[in-house]
Amino acid sequence: MNSAENDFADGLLRIFDNVLLTEEKALSKGYFSNLSIAELHTLDAIGPYEARAMSETAARLGITTGTLTVAIDRLVRKGYVERYRDSKDRRVVRVCLTRQGKLAFRMHAKFHTLLVKRIMDPLDIEDRERLAALVREIDEFITEQYQKYSQEESARKGAKITEEQGNDRIIQ
Amino acid sequence: MTELSSELQRGEPDSTGNPRERIGLDDPVLRRKERIYDTLMNTVTEMSDLSPTDIKPETEIIHDLGLDSLQIYELVIDLESSFDIRISDEELERVNTIQDVVDMIYELTSE
Repeated sequence: MNSAENDFADGLLRIFDNVLLTEEKALSKGYFSNLSIAELHTLDAIGPYEARAMSETAARLGITTGTLTVAIDRLVRKGYVERYRDSKDRRVVRVCLTRQGKLAFRMHAKFHTLLVKRIMDPLDIEDRERLAALVREIDEFITEQYQKYSQEESARKGAKITEEQGNDRIIQ
Repeated sequence: MTELSSELQRGEPDSTGNPRERIGLDDPVLRRKERIYDTLMNTVTEMSDLSPTDIKPETEIIHDLGLDSLQIYELVIDLESSFDIRISDEELERVNTIQDVVDMIYELTSE
């Protein structure tokens, strides 16, 4: 990597870290200091309106429903989320935000809006469009990489399970 | 001056701040806006120390009522729930006075 590429990589990682750190600091000073960033992103995945199935929310966050259950337990205890069984299909558990949860969601969304506004406001329309297009390209590239790793991981897990099942059969 | 507030101003001024006493409510649009106004008044007075007489159609939400961003979102969430609507931040940015809120809710409930 040449020095320009190094600077770019450093800058990108610093932005990523600092956005999270700033969010965390803003949270700890505000009305929602008992919420972590991860919990806020769980509220984001649930969204402020319709109730969502646990499985759908877990898929949005890229985590298992087991991991989500633990996170939701805490959010229910803290009063940000309500959980109930679907009246039509009792196997489905749904989650939705309480008034307090909706409030945290909207304040967090405002933080993101302000962040974008501060970045975009000094730019003219052409630069804004150019920046938006570049960010979109970076986003697509990173998403693609993430999906590749996820597919490789699930393929490895699948192979391991098949191997274990094979071993079981041999033992039997 | 917007539609409802100009209608409100046309009638006899009163000291109660209650627009129902001031206007002819034959117009269905105005009647609906009146109901929206009443619900808005109840929501604002329940969530703050304000009295209905402190609030008029031309009252500015941030400047006159002194609501901070958290209180504004509380109001938004309660109004969304009362009227079964969704209020985006873009719509909020266009709102300045109580009259603007009434007009916005009227538009959103007409969609």
